[in-house]
Amino acid sequence: MKWPCGPLDLSQQGNAPTSELKDTLAAWAQPAALELLKGTPINCLVVEWAAGNSDDSGQQQTLKPLIEAGRRTGISFAGKVAAGPAMAAAVQSARAAGISAVVLDQLPKEPLDLPVIRRFPQDGMAWDAATPIFSATGLDWPGLKLDTMHGDTAVAGPTGVPWVNSNAWFSLLGRELAPGKIRWLDFDPPEETRHPATYSMAVADSEAYGSRWIISLSNDFRGALLKGIPQVTAAWHETCDTLDFFEHHRDWQEFQSEGILAVISDYRGDHAFLSNEVLNLLNRNREQFRIIERSETLSKPLTGLKAILWLDGTTPTEAQLADLLGFVRQGGLLIAPAYWGPAGASEQIRDPAIDYRMYNVEKGQIAVPVEGFVNPYQVAVDAHLLASRRNDLVRLFNPATTNCHATYDPARKAQLVQIVNYSAQPADFVTLWVRNHARAGRLWKPGAPGAASISGSAAEPFSGAAAPGTEFDLPAIAVACAVEIEGSNS
Amino acid sequence: MMTTHCSRRKFLGAAGAAVGAWLARPAMFLARPAPAERVAVGMCPDYGPRVMSTLATMFDQLGGLDKLVRGKTVAIKLNLTGDAHTRLGYTPASLTHWVHPDVIGSTVHLLGQAGATRIRLLESPIITAEPLQEFMLEANWEPRQFLSAAPRVEFENTNFLGYGKKYSRFMVPGGGLMFAGYDLNHSYEDCDVFISLAKLKEHFTAGVTLTMKNCFGMTPCTIYGDGSGVDEPSLVPMGGRGPFHSGQRQPSKSAPPMVDRSGIKEGGYRVPRVVADLVAARPVHLGIIDGIHTMTGGEGPWVGKGKHVRPGVLVAGTNCVNTDAVCMALMGFDPMADRGTPPFETSDSTLRLAESLGVGTRDLRRIEVVGTPISKARFDFRRA
Repeated sequence: MKWPCGPLDLSQQGNAPTSELKDTLAAWAQPAALELLKGTPINCLVVEWAAGNSDDSGQQQTLKPLIEAGRRTGISFAGKVAAGPAMAAAVQSARAAGISAVVLDQLPKEPLDLPVIRRFPQDGMAWDAATPIFSATGLDWPGLKLDTMHGDTAVAGPTGVPWVNSNAWFSLLGRELAPGKIRWLDFDPPEETRHPATYSMAVADSEAYGSRWIISLSNDFRGALLKGIPQVTAAWHETCDTLDFFEHHRDWQEFQSEGILAVISDYRGDHAFLSNEVLNLLNRNREQFRIIERSETLSKPLTGLKAILWLDGTTPTEAQLADLLGFVRQGGLLIAPAYWGPAGASEQIRDPAIDYRMYNVEKGQIAVPVEGFVNPYQVAVDAHLLASRRNDLVRLFNPATTNCHATYDPARKAQLVQIVNYSAQPADFVTLWVRNHARAGRLWKPGAPGAASISGSAAEPFSGAAAPGTEFDLPAIAVACAVEIEGSNS
Repeated sequence: MMTTHCSRRKFLGAAGAAVGAWLARPAMFLARPAPAERVAVGMCPDYGPRVMSTLATMFDQLGGLDKLVRGKTVAIKLNLTGDAHTRLGYTPASLTHWVHPDVIGSTVHLLGQAGATRIRLLESPIITAEPLQEFMLEANWEPRQFLSAAPRVEFENTNFLGYGKKYSRFMVPGGGLMFAGYDLNHSYEDCDVFISLAKLKEHFTAGVTLTMKNCFGMTPCTIYGDGSGVDEPSLVPMGGRGPFHSGQRQPSKSAPPMVDRSGIKEGGYRVPRVVADLVAARPVHLGIIDGIHTMTGGEGPWVGKGKHVRPGVLVAGTNCVNTDAVCMALMGFDPMADRGTPPFETSDSTLRLAESLGVGTRDLRRIEVVGTPISKARFDFRRA
């Protein structure tokens, strides 16, 4: 959690900080403020330590009693240190003050005395340089986009679907490109007034996809929190409940993403924009997908996949191509920027709305966009349609402000669908459909002592048709919930 | 490049409306009374196998499907309003605001049995140009069930050009109440028989939505939508049919122009006129209403005051105004009602407007109801 409280923090607040802001920072510099963390899972505070300017000394003096008091209660501290000639000295002083790690934008040439948490801008991620814990900036504040809001309520109707900002795609990508490393998402609440409940939304959007948000409270909120304003205190407790919920389910981080569509790219350089946006929009459309880094194509099992979306213009290597065509010959669909299949394959138009050339190759098909991969939104929509909703693994009904992430446990004995609500209002009457035919599940949600049993029912069948999967009618979702179902979709 | 489709396709004995006269004279000066055809009402307490037998009986009561469809291409406009994942509470769309797949499947099967050579299922799913089958799948439907219900069943999303090379033009006999004509997806022309398969519902803007209002969804949003092209149709539909409601913008200039000069921008005035125009320009040969399960209070969950109800009734008729008049009576409304009287508190009556265009009468005294009498099947929507 970010803990601004000293002169460096004050200097970052603009030219004319109000007296109220000064009071808030001063109050948060007091060890007594740490009382807020009692009983919460928050065990690490991120503080400004050295910016390489004249405020550094005052900042460090301010932090000293806080760090001492925090360490006595088991709280560790990570200090942000700016790049520059004084970096090594600043790191040394941090170590001496009891700071456990430093957050750096750049790595120095010489090794440091403290573990480094490397911080990257989201659009400049150097995945290969990620430290065991790394952070990313430049991310979105999760929630409904403001122009789709009317007060606290999403504007929705037969023609309107609220737009949701989410960092899910980044978390999912980080999981693949920096496996085994811990991702800290570094984003702050926006300037405009927000419903305080959105803090727990920021936690849920990060944690449900395997990342951690560096909690960042607005100054107004922090001031009100120490004053004990009831609405703010309640929002703080809800945020902590949400943190606690995910902390108690750390095992879910080991679950694997479920999906019948694999998206292959190197996700770097010139390919980053298209590939990142496609992931974002696939997620936005509630499509469940797997991410494969291009160089890992041969090592990832293709089991359960119905379609592969190869985004980069780069032609596959000979071995990769053999693998991809093997997938196609067995009935898979390859969506690629060019036709790489055997000569003489027959071409057909699939549908007037999907502008792809379709080539039949034995049991499968290769789909090639007539005009290339241009618009990420269209690529995402088309990929879902080409793979067909018939192969969907999960669906939400009345999903308006929610999204979901389907995973399965490493033993493939259970399916887990996490649902996040991106509105400050509870999501009512959401129905979860899963291909799985299990008719019972367990419902977990923040603030509840344990799981509740829920019954599913066969999705309404036609006369004489087999029931297509199971539907679970969910109680109102405040921030997040998870449905665990025995068995898997496959 | 449009195909002008001013004349009704060769009509069938069972439908029997005097169409030729419409083309020669202004709508409001019809000499002969608006047509009155038989309407069948059948009780069917729930979905399942009984839907098929009930519909079969009703079609027989109307004179038999064979005469209508044998050797013909049949187009069915479905009512799948809104998106595929919005429900009224937890209740699936097919039990509230969408025609139920059992009614579609049974109709398709009976049409195939009666000798229809090709059956096209049509709808313009909101905002999207995606294949209609994909739209159905999103709602947990299985479109293969329809494919296997009869030989040669096809789907088309009619919200854009689709499989056609050009839009088909349908001029409104008598010049039109709102527009002189409408440009529609080719499927509405490339058929011999046109069926409107709708749900028994009230409507927020138009009072009721039955076989006629269902035809509002024939209009492609590439031409009539919020984001349609200014000069030519857009390639894909963008936005809903807001311009029809509010008149805040005109359709693409390639389409026939607006003829209404009132300057009224109110949906309750405009939408019923558009609907009356459409059913006059693209006649409905058979209207079928699914009132087994439905909802009160409006056309979909977004209206916000709906309730899932089970009237347990099916209605069919070869004249859409007559059919809708019987449906209104079944819903507890007076089909002769007009603006200011339920369900037309804030709108004009589409039935009255279509009647004025000579499409059919709404006068129950002139309509023969077969099967279950209205009095025994009535389900009062405002008291449910």
